[in-house]
Amino acid sequence: MDSWIAIIRLDLALFLRDRKALVLLYLVPVLMAAFFGQLTGGTGGKAERSAIGLVLVDLDGSAASRGVVAAFTNDSTFAVVVTNEAAARARVTAGRVPVGLIFPPGFSTNLLQGIFQSDRRPVVTLLFDPSHETERSLLEGMLVPKIVSGVAEGLLNVDVGRDLIARGRTNILRAERLPEIQRRLLLDSLAQADAFLESRRMSVVQTNAAAGPAELPLPYRVDDQPLTRVAGARYNGFAHSFAGMSLQFVLMVMIDLAVGLLTERQSGTFRRLRAAPLSRATLLLGKATSYAIIALSTFVVSFAVAISAFGVRIHGSWFGFVAVILALCYFSATLALALAAIGRTPKATRGLAIPVVLILLMLGGAWIPSFIFPSWVRTVSLWMPTGWGIEALDAMTWRGLDVSAVFLPVAGLVAVGTLLGGIAWRRFRWDGEAGS
Amino acid sequence: MNTDRSAPVVLAARNLVRRFGDRTAVDGVSFEVRAGESVGLLGPNGAGKTTTFSMITGLLRPDSGELLLGGAALVSDTDPIKRRLGLVPQDLALYEELDARRNLGFFAAIQGVGQSRIPEAVRSALEFVGLSDRADDRVGTFSGGMKRRLNLAAALLHDPDILLLDEPTVGVDPQSRNAIFDNIAELRRRGKTLLYTTHYMEEVERLCDRVIIIDRGRIVVDDSLARLRHRAGTGAGAELRIELEEPASDTLSGTLRDIPGIGSVRIDGRSVQVRVGSLAAGSSEVLRRLAEAGIAVRSFSAEPPNLEAVFLELTGRSLRDS
Ligand SMILES: Nc1ncnc2c1ncn2[C@@H]1O[C@H](COP(=O)(O)OP(=O)(O)OP(=O)(O)O)[C@@H](O)[C@H]1O
Ligand SMILES: [Mg+2]
Repeated sequence: MDSWIAIIRLDLALFLRDRKALVLLYLVPVLMAAFFGQLTGGTGGKAERSAIGLVLVDLDGSAASRGVVAAFTNDSTFAVVVTNEAAARARVTAGRVPVGLIFPPGFSTNLLQGIFQSDRRPVVTLLFDPSHETERSLLEGMLVPKIVSGVAEGLLNVDVGRDLIARGRTNILRAERLPEIQRRLLLDSLAQADAFLESRRMSVVQTNAAAGPAELPLPYRVDDQPLTRVAGARYNGFAHSFAGMSLQFVLMVMIDLAVGLLTERQSGTFRRLRAAPLSRATLLLGKATSYAIIALSTFVVSFAVAISAFGVRIHGSWFGFVAVILALCYFSATLALALAAIGRTPKATRGLAIPVVLILLMLGGAWIPSFIFPSWVRTVSLWMPTGWGIEALDAMTWRGLDVSAVFLPVAGLVAVGTLLGGIAWRRFRWDGEAGS
Repeated sequence: MNTDRSAPVVLAARNLVRRFGDRTAVDGVSFEVRAGESVGLLGPNGAGKTTTFSMITGLLRPDSGELLLGGAALVSDTDPIKRRLGLVPQDLALYEELDARRNLGFFAAIQGVGQSRIPEAVRSALEFVGLSDRADDRVGTFSGGMKRRLNLAAALLHDPDILLLDEPTVGVDPQSRNAIFDNIAELRRRGKTLLYTTHYMEEVERLCDRVIIIDRGRIVVDDSLARLRHRAGTGAGAELRIELEEPASDTLSGTLRDIPGIGSVRIDGRSVQVRVGSLAAGSSEVLRRLAEAGIAVRSFSAEPPNLEAVFLELTGRSLRDS
């Protein structure tokens, strides 16, 4: 018992002395988790993307075109610069801005007349940097809704609207081949629109102070339903990235510890241990315990930061969460011992441990969620204890499942850990004779 | 000091054999050590000294043969009888990243010194080797000599009665070396049983009552120092050092080599070194021949019988690469 505690205390003291290991274990995972969490959707709201640079040239200067410009300017997706045509072309050509739009003179009148005469439709020029195809297609996709809402906004400028209606009426009356019934219908609806605008003149006057560019509502509404079990639980990309990154660095430090154990076995201090009345079981148990404590400290630090600074919440069961963490510590510690026992020499162990840990991490979904893998890889992933652990942590954090969701993963981790411990117990030679 | 034949045998090796692959590192070694005895284990590199120690302390299992500690064989790794042994490993066995106190505290706990007694055990071990004032410094900052002293202290924490010292002064400056010798002499005075490996006959002469010479895994001599000295006195002769008034002539070498029973002759300017079979007869004959040749002698001295010569004679090998 005393020897067991002495070994644990020594290992922890040695570990705390090792600055590199400390940075690797506490600082790097937090930074990486913050970074990856940000990439994979942050705290569940809209992902914070950098705005796309967009140059706009308004050669029309009508209420409608100004409305479209305003619609783009008010959208945080774009960082809009309004300029003249030459400057706009120069900027895109120089690659300083990926996309641009030029609204031609007569844009708004032609837009309305284009409804009736397709050859009069205005031509909007889309400038783009060929290396920014994504931005180009995004802009193209947004062009129609922006023009609709922008023009509508412009049209709601009463004077312009009524003027357009008057011109529309003239056009309708002039169109000789239009069947009488349709002419009547169109004139009727224009009259209604005119009346609407007239009534609106009053309300515009009244609410002028509160006026902001109100977008016309789209004809449909998107109802997002992120599916988590607990009301109020929201997907948090950080929950997943902190789980994955802390496990990654725990396993990387376990490689170091496994190699360190073998280096220590070759050293004089190990001879002293062997000369003392100390059993192999006490030694292995002491090592496993100190490794598990080191692993635990990483999870504690990582999740403390995740919870206090990144809004990660344990929406599931705290008990389940702690159980998963402890099971992961047990698994990591026995993995280190098994790697040392199988590898036998420091070099061989490193050579063995690095691919094993990388596979455990990659297929376990520590870096990228495993659902994007091809199906046969996904099948293999199901066998990764690391994957069980990360899924179980997800279950207890943002998914908010109840404690029963971790029973199987925890049992699995404990079983595999025990198997690895057994391998270490059978195969670890502590005589430490080189090459024999 | 204690060569009492009636003292109990505390350590016995019977026909120990240990192989590494097809190399036999220890090849049928047998010896006994009695309580309070101080035994030097002398041998060149690779003789099998460390391997023998490793078997005694349970680090290595012998391929065959038997080891008895206090009359009993080690039955398990946790055998409490191990507490009677204190090992000073040949390679420094310390955690450089930790301070001296923490190192000793750990080794004390591992040796089964109770928690409450550890601070006192550590304090007195540090005091014994004269490192009390460096107790809280990182071992990595110690000089080579200080590390060696701490390496010794780490073996003393559980107050073992048998000490296995594997080249405890290797690579150490004369000052620390003397400090360690003083420590070992003090341990001997306290009645500890010492088994001491070295490449230096002079260390054995200074610290031990008995010497076991081992070469290529076999024991070639196991005898008391007194008897070995006697053997050296008769068998290996003496070394004469003569300083002449004038540089030696070319013919002197031939003159001296003519003397019956003469060994090597080395002449360098005024200084002459001659090995003779027997001190009394050899020296008078050498001086007589010099007088006959009319060579004036400024000084004359005879070296005491040299035990290293015994080793050379017995093994045909030098103890160290010179
Ligand atoms: N772990 C090992 N694996 C293989 N060979 C070994 C091992 N340990 C020792 N040997 C070999 O056994 C022989 C005896 O070595 P040992 O260390 O016992 O010698 P020694 O007398 O202590 O030498 P030195 O004075 O150099 O310390 C040497 O030939 C050595 O190479
Ligand atoms: Mg040796």
